[in-house]
Amino acid sequence: MVPMAVSPEIDPGLVRAAQHGDRMAQGELMDALIPFLGRICGPIALQDGPDAVQEALIAIFRNLGQLRDPVAIFGWARAIAVREAVRVARQAARAIPGELADLPAPGDPQLAADIADVLSRLTPEHRAILVLRDLDGLGEREAGALLAIPAGTVRSRLLRARRAFRKAWGQ
Amino acid sequence: MNQQWPVAELDPVRRLRVIAATTPGVIYAEQHIPAPFGEVWAVASDLENELPRIVADVRTFTITASAGERLQARARSRLGLRARFDVVLRPGWCLMQSRFLFFGMAAVPEDGGTRFAGLGALRVPGARLLAPLDRLLLTQRLGYGAIDRLADRARSR
Repeated sequence: MVPMAVSPEIDPGLVRAAQHGDRMAQGELMDALIPFLGRICGPIALQDGPDAVQEALIAIFRNLGQLRDPVAIFGWARAIAVREAVRVARQAARAIPGELADLPAPGDPQLAADIADVLSRLTPEHRAILVLRDLDGLGEREAGALLAIPAGTVRSRLLRARRAFRKAWGQ
Repeated sequence: MNQQWPVAELDPVRRLRVIAATTPGVIYAEQHIPAPFGEVWAVASDLENELPRIVADVRTFTITASAGERLQARARSRLGLRARFDVVLRPGWCLMQSRFLFFGMAAVPEDGGTRFAGLGALRVPGARLLAPLDRLLLTQRLGYGAIDRLADRARSR
């Protein structure tokens, strides 16, 4: 069973204060959002992750007034972060779509770096699927809605991305 | 396995850029200071002693309460105006806000020196429409070359 997506809790009063132009509240809200956004943008935008987080935060705070329910801020921010991370990664033109032939061998001493290495062989869209389904635990429909693609496409992209990981770690 | 997934970080200067990009009528400046981060931040974070030397309009800046990285301060301008500021201060990061004013500073090590950023904004209704006037007023309050004065202070310590 796929776990439900878990979002950190936030004081609704903090969000409302930031919506009303309290910059100290904005700073505090930013402190709370950055680890969450970094976990989404890092695997999708890779070395351009900081650019993606920065762009996501700018989009979030420019549009914060449109957020009706302060409690929903993390779900709302997730959608913006995925969109910005894919956009930044595409702009950087570092994605290498296609075959996944040169994956690192299992037991490579640089195992910690291998995940980033494997991710870099996927398109930003495949990386976004992995983050939403395997890291955040969203369902196919939720992930598809965030990425504006059908659930079937979510499934096929996820299968391909997972196959790449299994191959990399010899599982 | 999740712990090994890449996680993107955002350094203090990038954080301040976000605030600058989303604050109406803001003035923002960023430059490289050829002095180590520790020396630069020692000056920037010494609010009581250094703000009156660096910011043109500040005569005194007195910390009245502190709890961890959160402070309260009382500022007095050269014209005698008083304001109470809420402050957040930690290494490389400082935000302060009064009823009508907002200031921020951020710094990170860069190439043996320091990248330093500062911003200021008026907290008034219609700040977006009044942006040119805001910027003029703020520039007068901060004084031209505030970051250069900070760099001079860091070098003279």
